[in-house]
Amino acid sequence: MSLAQTTGRGGAGRRSARPSRLRAYFTVDGWGLLILPLVVFLAVIFVVPLGMLIAKSFTDPTLGLDNYREIFAESLYLKILTNTFVIALSVTAVTLLLAYPYAYLMTIATPVWRTVLLLLVLVPFWTSVLVRSFALVLLLRDTGVLNTIAQDVGLISEPFPIMRTMKGVIFGMVQVALPFAVLPIYATMRNIDTRLTKAAQGLGDRPSGAFWRVFVPLSMPGVAAGLLLTFIQALGYYITPAMLGGPKNTMIGELIVQQVSTVLQFGFAAALAVLLLSTTFVLLAIASRFMNLERMLMGRS
Amino acid sequence: MRTKAISLVSTAALVLSVAACGGGEDSDSVTVTMWGGQAQEAHVKSYFTPWAKEADVSIRQDSPTDYAKLDAQVKSGKVSWGLAEVEPNYAKSACDAGKLEKLPERVVEAAQKAEIDPAQMNDCAIPILQYTFSIAYNTDKFGDKHPTNWAEFFDTKAFPGKRGFWKYVTGGIFEAALLADGVAPDELYPLDLDRAFRKLDSIKDDIVWYDTGDQQIQLVASGEAPLVQAWNGRVTQAAKAGEPVANEYGQNLISYDQIVIPKGYKNAELAQDWMVWFLENPQAQADDVTASGYGPASPQAVELVPADVQPDVAGGAEVNEQSAALMNYDYWAENYDEVTKRFNTWIAK
Amino acid sequence: MTRVLTRAGLILLAALIGAYILLPILIILPMSVSDSAFLTFPPKGFTWQWFEELKLDPTWLEAATASLRVAALSAILSVVLGTLAALALVRGRFPFRGPVLMVLLAPLIVPYVIVGLAVYIAFLEVGLTETTLGFVLVHTCLGVPYVMINVCAGLVAVDRRLEMASMNLGAGPVSTFFRITLPAILPNMLAGALFAFITSWDEVVVAIFMSGPTLTTLPVKMWAGIRVQIDPTLAAISSLALLVIVGCFLIIGLGRLVQRLLARRNLSSDSTGA
Repeated sequence: MSLAQTTGRGGAGRRSARPSRLRAYFTVDGWGLLILPLVVFLAVIFVVPLGMLIAKSFTDPTLGLDNYREIFAESLYLKILTNTFVIALSVTAVTLLLAYPYAYLMTIATPVWRTVLLLLVLVPFWTSVLVRSFALVLLLRDTGVLNTIAQDVGLISEPFPIMRTMKGVIFGMVQVALPFAVLPIYATMRNIDTRLTKAAQGLGDRPSGAFWRVFVPLSMPGVAAGLLLTFIQALGYYITPAMLGGPKNTMIGELIVQQVSTVLQFGFAAALAVLLLSTTFVLLAIASRFMNLERMLMGRS
Repeated sequence: MRTKAISLVSTAALVLSVAACGGGEDSDSVTVTMWGGQAQEAHVKSYFTPWAKEADVSIRQDSPTDYAKLDAQVKSGKVSWGLAEVEPNYAKSACDAGKLEKLPERVVEAAQKAEIDPAQMNDCAIPILQYTFSIAYNTDKFGDKHPTNWAEFFDTKAFPGKRGFWKYVTGGIFEAALLADGVAPDELYPLDLDRAFRKLDSIKDDIVWYDTGDQQIQLVASGEAPLVQAWNGRVTQAAKAGEPVANEYGQNLISYDQIVIPKGYKNAELAQDWMVWFLENPQAQADDVTASGYGPASPQAVELVPADVQPDVAGGAEVNEQSAALMNYDYWAENYDEVTKRFNTWIAK
Repeated sequence: MTRVLTRAGLILLAALIGAYILLPILIILPMSVSDSAFLTFPPKGFTWQWFEELKLDPTWLEAATASLRVAALSAILSVVLGTLAALALVRGRFPFRGPVLMVLLAPLIVPYVIVGLAVYIAFLEVGLTETTLGFVLVHTCLGVPYVMINVCAGLVAVDRRLEMASMNLGAGPVSTFFRITLPAILPNMLAGALFAFITSWDEVVVAIFMSGPTLTTLPVKMWAGIRVQIDPTLAAISSLALLVIVGCFLIIGLGRLVQRLLARRNLSSDSTGA
């Protein structure tokens, strides 16, 4: 996703002084060819239809940048966009904090307990997000199960508001996101050669030192995958935030659905989608500068 | 009994859909698209299955109605929806934009004979059911005294507790706010939006928004928001199921759904046959009232409804007498986009 | 000492997370046998009515079968395409890496309603709406990034010295791939396949566009009612799905256990048994 690589192509004609670099850029090897099936598939099924719709953001209802101008003219849309990223980031942070120790416990548990832990994280995965969100509403609302119990035991005197707050949204979304972080982290941890940590200990490192210096870095590809999946996925949620959040927690997904399905402003909806897409890419590019996501995930920078 | 019939219908639908392999439309079938769920089951059973039998036509079902999907079908000329249940403001805009089949003379005549309120018709659409936006209240919280009009509904001092509203501009919010602020019912439209938002601002912190029909019942029944501007049919059914909820019809706003034929539908004539049959059959509409809880399109059907149900029938004399206004969807067709934009901004503040 | 404390803390955390994950299930199961037509908790009375309705209405089963078929096929297609792409991303060289990566990640980011509308318009033209193929094609787009990301994470962690050793011992690249690489990334492939499966199985927004009288998936059928009402039938479906899944896990678990026991017996009775 390095921007330098893309722009490097533009400078190709002028900079013939360094032909080897250029040639290196355009080199394709046997492994590289394996990208083709997916690229062709996505181009035909996804990119072309989407491109036709996105073109509408420049033509519907009027030719030009009006749709984009409208987004920036009204503080509401940028507020919702910011809100979306804030929620997605919070959800990602909480999810990773929970998923990492959970996945670690899975790697050191006995086979039976490992299966139990795996089942626990996977089973709710199969129930519809919609039904699960409804269940969470019954659980979390002011007159819901949790508040009633807490009041009965005398823990609180007034209902503690969770529904229609940011807390409620995060509570619900982390629920949905957790398996998407636990599985890749666990799958990567499983592959870590335990002899390496043992060796570190044998060389005099304390167990916790071996854990932080050897095990954690080796598990990073899984963490990067979990982070990427959770964060990107959380950007698109709208059912859970719509049901558990308040009007101030609207996410951009909900706004886009409204524009497509009830207001029928396809052009404007497409413009909002383009904004979401480009903001996400810019953020990912910045993030990979600092955390080197690409190297963690793909072994190169 | 009911489930048996449903399973029969669906088996028939299955067999037919297999027969009509590839999604192609038979010459003698009509695809009906509504919002789905148990309401759709009830509608299909009371006024599509009997017609299909009579006319020797098969009914195929789809759900839910999605305007973007309908639009795409009409634009591409590959229309698979024959009869679609839509909101009247959409019907008006889509009809004006030429996306719907115009009603032929015979349907208009049948509608006149059925004494359909002309205000609920337009060039492309007939009403299919009626309901009201009325006050739903929790009977445990407000046993002796509950709000009987919108002014009292907005009075959080006399009636403490959260208020539930539909997060949807055509959900009757602005109409209720203006009535509460003293606007005369016949001067509601065009809506004085500034005034409506001012009135809503006065109780904004006490408003809880709902998105679906189920949430409104959950809100009232659980006491989370003991007062909700709700759809009367849902509340009646919940009360029957033993939930502590009731309808107050004072100053209710009458609303309705319409049925339309997307432009370019191959079996449009057959779909129009159904429209005529529907309008000429108040009994089918009355059956649907008992099954779905919605009011019938034609006033002639009201008399055929069992007497104990009548006080809760939208379109019936008792509800009509207390009604403040009929939702004016011509206004909404014109102003929907603008008001939605303004509402989005207001609600996020 | 600290080690014991750390372990205890971890176990406590896992228990809390487990409880947190299970909370909604603990609501859904009782709701599916509640005798109220409105979702209430705690339930007032007991009934099998909602399961009966499922049984009597074949369209539920039909929708579930369609969902299962679409989800399974798109998971398979996603695994094939996604694994190949991951190999290229981690091991290969090819130009336009940045743009290609953007295209591969885009299906995760573009809101489903936009994808749904765009693909619907295109598929109407070629007659792919309401077909299994159409569903599988579009759901594969949505599922493939999950496979790709998971497998990338797995490939990076693969010890390449093992592959070198295999090659040095005379195995060809293909056989090295199948004997060394593939087993190592299998957990990641499975995780990716599972994500792709679930994405399709629970996907409603694109599916609403693609569905029709000929083919409707389970989430669409469930969703269709929700604008007006949600009844315990939906809780019943979720409970059923849960039971089926837990059942499958149990059978697989038991099978493994039996296998292990048998293997142990074979080992002790016949030392040459492989």
